[in-house]
Amino acid sequence: MTSKGNSGHQPPATGHRASSIRITMDGQPLDVAPGATLYEAAQRAGIDIPVLCHSPKLEPVGVCRMCVVEVEGSRVLQAACVRQAEDGMVVRTNSDKTTRSRAMLTELLMSDYPKPVASDQEPVTSERQLLTTSHRPLAPALKPDLLLELAAAQGVTTPRFPARPLLTSFDNGRDLSSSVIAVDHNACILCDRCIRACDDVQCNDVIGRVGKGYTARIAFDNDLPMGQSSCVSCGECMAACPTGALTDKPLTLPLLADADHKQVDSLCPYCGVGCSITYTVDTKANTIVQVSGRASPVNHGRLCVKGRYGFDYVHHGERLLAPLIRKPASYPKSIEPPADPRQAFREATWDEALDLAAQRFTAIRAAHGSQALAGFGSAKCSNEDNYLFQKLIRAVFGTNNVDHCTRLCHASSVAALLDQIGGGSVSNPFSDALDTDAIFIIGSNTTHNHPVAATFIKQAANAGATLIVADPRRPEIADHADHYVRFNPGTDVAFLNGLMHVIIREGLHDAEFIEKCTEAFDRLRDTVIAYTPRLVSRLTGVPEQKVIDVARAYGRASRAMIFWGMGISQHTTGTDNARCLINLALLTGNIGRPGTGLHPLRGQNNVQGASDVGLIPMVYTGYQSVADADVRRKFEAVWGVGLDPEPGLTVVEIMSAVLEGNIRAMFMMGENPFLSDPNINKVKKCLAGMDFLAVQDIFLTETAAYADVILPGTSFPEKTGTFTNTDSRVQLARQAIDPPGQVRDDWRIIVDLAARMGYPMSYASEEAIWREIVSLTPVFTGITYERLEDQGIPWPCPEAEHPGVPIRFTDGFPRGKGKFEAAEFAPAKELPDADYPLVLNTGRVLQHWHTGTMTRRAKALDAMVPEALLEMTPADMGALNIEDGERVRVVSRRGEITVKVMASAKPSTGSVFLPFHFKEAAANLLTIDALDPYGKIPEFKFCAVRVEKIAERAGGS
Amino acid sequence: MIIQELSLIQKTHSYLPADELQALSRRLNVPLYRLHGLASFYPHFRLQPPPQVDIRVCHDMACLLRGAADLQAIARTAVDASPVTDAQVGTTACLGQCDGAPAIVVNDQIYTDASAQRIVSLLDSLASGRTLRRQRYIAPDTAYVCDPYNGAPTYDALRRLAHGGDANAVIDALKASGLRGMGGAGFPTGVKWELVRQAPGETKYVICNADESEPGTFKDRVILQTLPDLVLEGMALAALAVGGRKAIIYIRHEYARQRDVLLKTLRQRQDEGILGSYMMGSAQHVEFEIFESPGGYICGEETALLEALEDRRAEPRHKPPFPGTHGLFGAPTLLNNVETFAMVPGIVLNGGDWWAGHGMNGAKGLKFLAVSGQVKNPGVYEVPLGITVHKLIERAGGMRYGRTLKAFAPGGASSGFLPAGMADIPLDFRTLAEAGSMLGSGAVVVVGDDVCMLELALNVGRFFRNESCGKCVPCRVGSEKIVTLLEGILAGRGSWADLELIEELSDTMALTSICGLGQAAPNPILSVIKHFKDDITRYIKGSG
Repeated sequence: MTSKGNSGHQPPATGHRASSIRITMDGQPLDVAPGATLYEAAQRAGIDIPVLCHSPKLEPVGVCRMCVVEVEGSRVLQAACVRQAEDGMVVRTNSDKTTRSRAMLTELLMSDYPKPVASDQEPVTSERQLLTTSHRPLAPALKPDLLLELAAAQGVTTPRFPARPLLTSFDNGRDLSSSVIAVDHNACILCDRCIRACDDVQCNDVIGRVGKGYTARIAFDNDLPMGQSSCVSCGECMAACPTGALTDKPLTLPLLADADHKQVDSLCPYCGVGCSITYTVDTKANTIVQVSGRASPVNHGRLCVKGRYGFDYVHHGERLLAPLIRKPASYPKSIEPPADPRQAFREATWDEALDLAAQRFTAIRAAHGSQALAGFGSAKCSNEDNYLFQKLIRAVFGTNNVDHCTRLCHASSVAALLDQIGGGSVSNPFSDALDTDAIFIIGSNTTHNHPVAATFIKQAANAGATLIVADPRRPEIADHADHYVRFNPGTDVAFLNGLMHVIIREGLHDAEFIEKCTEAFDRLRDTVIAYTPRLVSRLTGVPEQKVIDVARAYGRASRAMIFWGMGISQHTTGTDNARCLINLALLTGNIGRPGTGLHPLRGQNNVQGASDVGLIPMVYTGYQSVADADVRRKFEAVWGVGLDPEPGLTVVEIMSAVLEGNIRAMFMMGENPFLSDPNINKVKKCLAGMDFLAVQDIFLTETAAYADVILPGTSFPEKTGTFTNTDSRVQLARQAIDPPGQVRDDWRIIVDLAARMGYPMSYASEEAIWREIVSLTPVFTGITYERLEDQGIPWPCPEAEHPGVPIRFTDGFPRGKGKFEAAEFAPAKELPDADYPLVLNTGRVLQHWHTGTMTRRAKALDAMVPEALLEMTPADMGALNIEDGERVRVVSRRGEITVKVMASAKPSTGSVFLPFHFKEAAANLLTIDALDPYGKIPEFKFCAVRVEKIAERAGGS
Repeated sequence: MIIQELSLIQKTHSYLPADELQALSRRLNVPLYRLHGLASFYPHFRLQPPPQVDIRVCHDMACLLRGAADLQAIARTAVDASPVTDAQVGTTACLGQCDGAPAIVVNDQIYTDASAQRIVSLLDSLASGRTLRRQRYIAPDTAYVCDPYNGAPTYDALRRLAHGGDANAVIDALKASGLRGMGGAGFPTGVKWELVRQAPGETKYVICNADESEPGTFKDRVILQTLPDLVLEGMALAALAVGGRKAIIYIRHEYARQRDVLLKTLRQRQDEGILGSYMMGSAQHVEFEIFESPGGYICGEETALLEALEDRRAEPRHKPPFPGTHGLFGAPTLLNNVETFAMVPGIVLNGGDWWAGHGMNGAKGLKFLAVSGQVKNPGVYEVPLGITVHKLIERAGGMRYGRTLKAFAPGGASSGFLPAGMADIPLDFRTLAEAGSMLGSGAVVVVGDDVCMLELALNVGRFFRNESCGKCVPCRVGSEKIVTLLEGILAGRGSWADLELIEELSDTMALTSICGLGQAAPNPILSVIKHFKDDITRYIKGSG
């Protein structure tokens, strides 16, 4: 955490001046790069050297000694993984000495290694069984055991040494306290791979060695059981472990030793990082048994707890397996959701359900016009699904009233980016963090919401990049920061203007860049001139010197990046907040180069893609405006219908239009506005008040409970299709398992519905849909399924062989010059007062995803965080005489919930934080539906509440 | 920094409470695993509250040869009989008091020549609530040949170098003398100084390794006690010669008395303007620091020592790169042993030839040798290099209790044992290497004819097993297997195959261990197999 940079045990590569070094290895002359290790040299030459502790993903430590080689003139053998090649070196990798030594080392390790037992071949049906069998049965096919493989290769069958006595701590060395990882200390060979994976790759700093010598072990924190430690269960340690010491606990039982496994390369279904994964599937049982990280430019094989251990939701017993139609007895719909929504529905055939939906949509369109219809698509569905969805709404329903949850996350950021730059996506991939001098994170709880992106930022900070973290609620990534700034909630604009004030005052701005590449600088200067550190300090609560220090840290860096999240965007001033960040980057010329730029971290795995393929009311695919007649004509020609020239309504506007009676029927695919939208009480009225609601989803969500017809769609691993991550990298997900029951591909459902509404669509496959998207979208021209392979392509990709553009705006901005757009500080809409004295901030936790539809049905994730906890400072708790863990009532002007309190130093005094995943304590009963005027995004991050002891009111009433 | 913080917490609480570690983790923004990793690695740190009375008996070679096993039993009996209820009797690794064997530690105070009577009186003091005082020390009245000042240090060598002297001339004198590293490795000192002098780097370090911890080794303790000025002057000369900005003495925490002597001497010389800022009017500022080791034999390994100074677990680094170019915090670092530094002022003042001229039997130079075990007068003797073991034992008053010499370790535990028949070998780097042993840490341990060499080998084997840092497989696992196999043989479960297995294992340990500990750990048992096979044969069934 604190230690910056490597203390330099290894000589710098520049120590060698020669451009290449010549060595002789096994009689073969080799030219190797200066600084290369003997292991790397051998690899390049195709010479196989066995390793245990070494992994190319990790810094070598040379502790297992398995890779020893003979270097002429050296008394002892040298570990090839750490020994650097030197000019003239004569190396033997397979001499008598090396072979003998390797076999002896293997024999030493094998003598203490747990012996396989007969039951290893029996299926694992319970977690408890792990305690009584040896370490290996967990998933014999899922994780190769490098030590056993080495022993077999070297013929070490019966080690001659007496075995070390088994550990007695941790249940005979078995630590099963983690929900997802089984630890067998007796099978640990202390290769330190897990330590490096945890501390150097994921930078979670949990694992180390404890004790010394032959009693040394790996330990979590201060030798706690894994499940009680600060471990975040990313599983990087398990993936790195070469033996049976760290193994995945099975999430989908039974595990059969003789199962027929296949591996399918796909993507993670959760956040916008878009990690590459590989599913391991038991093909007989049609069950996913494991997820592992796959090497790609995006995640370098890393995953987080959701990606690795959150896959079993697809096999959950509550999956919708057949279409459902609301029973006549369940009308009229009540505003409050029924206790058991299943009872309100009966199973139906596909024909019945689709006919019903088609008839009702057609009838309502006929009676009230196209504008009485609307649709919400899904940032969880593929580009192909969403393209067809918006095509259905636009071409068949006849309206542009189509939107999705982007409105709830980065609509304000996109509005500002489009206005000032002319492009709505990120400028640089998040992995550029490894290639920058300063990183500024604001309004992002990165380690929880974009955990794998956070690993790159933490690594950069550990390697010496300056990390600045600003957030009213202290995020954990601040542990790695050089500067953490806690500013008063809702004062982002003031703080950022203060930074720019100092940067201009101290001449740290890039005058040449401003002159050449920007416009309206004078307006910015005239605005921020008033934001002196003194004034800013008064508005934001940040000490003056801190404002100055942070401005200098960002302003002086020759390359600096800005990352932001919902803390910036989900405000009534969200667009202004984003404008300030864009101003800051333009002011210092930090855009258009590697290691610089603006990166609004995207929430959903396909929120970028859904927007890219037109799932927003104002534009078609590739942000081509619906109001542009030429564009419209192009789409009309291909789609064969006339299109509505007026931009449609946005998510929250659609909800309001429903209440006003202007919108009467909706089609929702994979969205759950009940929990995700602000002011649930209003959302409920709107859901119950519609004439007709069709919902397409994988579970009977809180929203689906209000539907007239429910259509069962496919879950992520049941799909093939493209998804676009936060870097704007289009990637291909491949189907891993067959859909259960009568579940139908989402895009086929749309095709079927469209046909029944008199608009036949015909596609042979997802790929055919993609080809249609490409034909209409110049920025996708060069992207084909074939070219996506396993790496993906960052768009724009305007030509057939184009590699894509990972770093944008290198030669100018789409709108010409970058535009400064000054913003003045304005307070939040609902400030705390005597009745509602606290500020409520809402957001997510690492283990859960949005409305919990998936993660709360993932066994391990739900076990880790089974309920909502209200974070509150001990000071605020003390003032109300509230104990840690006490259930309290949280009340806003819009609703109230009861929830358990967790004492936390993360929020500032006067603020509380509540995650919104939990329907039992739905944060959005409390939030305000005040909107940002430009991005139309609700103010999720700020509303006034009060916290009450439950006993108090009960006694009073 | 972290290690000092941990030491401070232990000073306050007498152990490291978990909540204090948590608080420190937050305060320093250092992960908890790292603090716990340090606290559980270094023997000085306790993770549990200590008992009211904590008696630890040294159980290593020299003390073993002088009745440590019996003393431990006596201590148990005494504790049982004493009114103290919360008492614990355990063992400790070699304390560097082999001339006062058997040695014990009671509540962190060291007592030598421990006896039943002493233990009882200490227990009485503790039972009546008194704090234990440091044992009295009587300074020996010895003049040393290597001391050019005859006990009245004037720092003339340093003055000459500081006032327009030539650093290259100093290095040349060292080269001419043939002085080699006295810590065990025997690297030519002049060459090392030249290497560090030539290494590019703004910041360079000079470090004195005062962490001798190998059973039988205590010569540096005596040098630090009696010749602290020579050590400090040697370091100051080194700093000027190589361009060192910081001079650190890394001293084992058990040498509290010697640390105090050093600290007092250092303060005095700093006040006199001799050491420290612009010492003796030189243009160079050298900052001196005394770092107390949190414990463990492995810290004496030079790169492990550097790791400890960098607040990490003292796990040796891979070499190359060597500390001369990539040492403390990656900077060029000159590391020498206490004795090496102490020899420098004499060589600088009197010339390399003067020093080289002191040798005998074809060897060159002076040497401090620690003699322990079954001799009448164990202690540290300044001798010409090349002296024979016979002569040395004579100087130490001959064998104790009329014993006959059976074996001797010429250079500490890791040098292995040579039989009495080889006692005419001159003690020198070259001759001992030829005999398959080494001069090592200058610790001659004398073994009488009543000792079973297999038991002794097991004793030393346990020392290496316990002191292995555990970083690499051959040493961590191999040292444990040697002990288990020897225990098996002593218990009558052994076979000839076990001996072959040990030899096979030893080969791999020597070839593949990262540092000298693992490479040398098999030496004792290998030497016993080679020279004292009878002591093994009698335990193996089916053999004669």
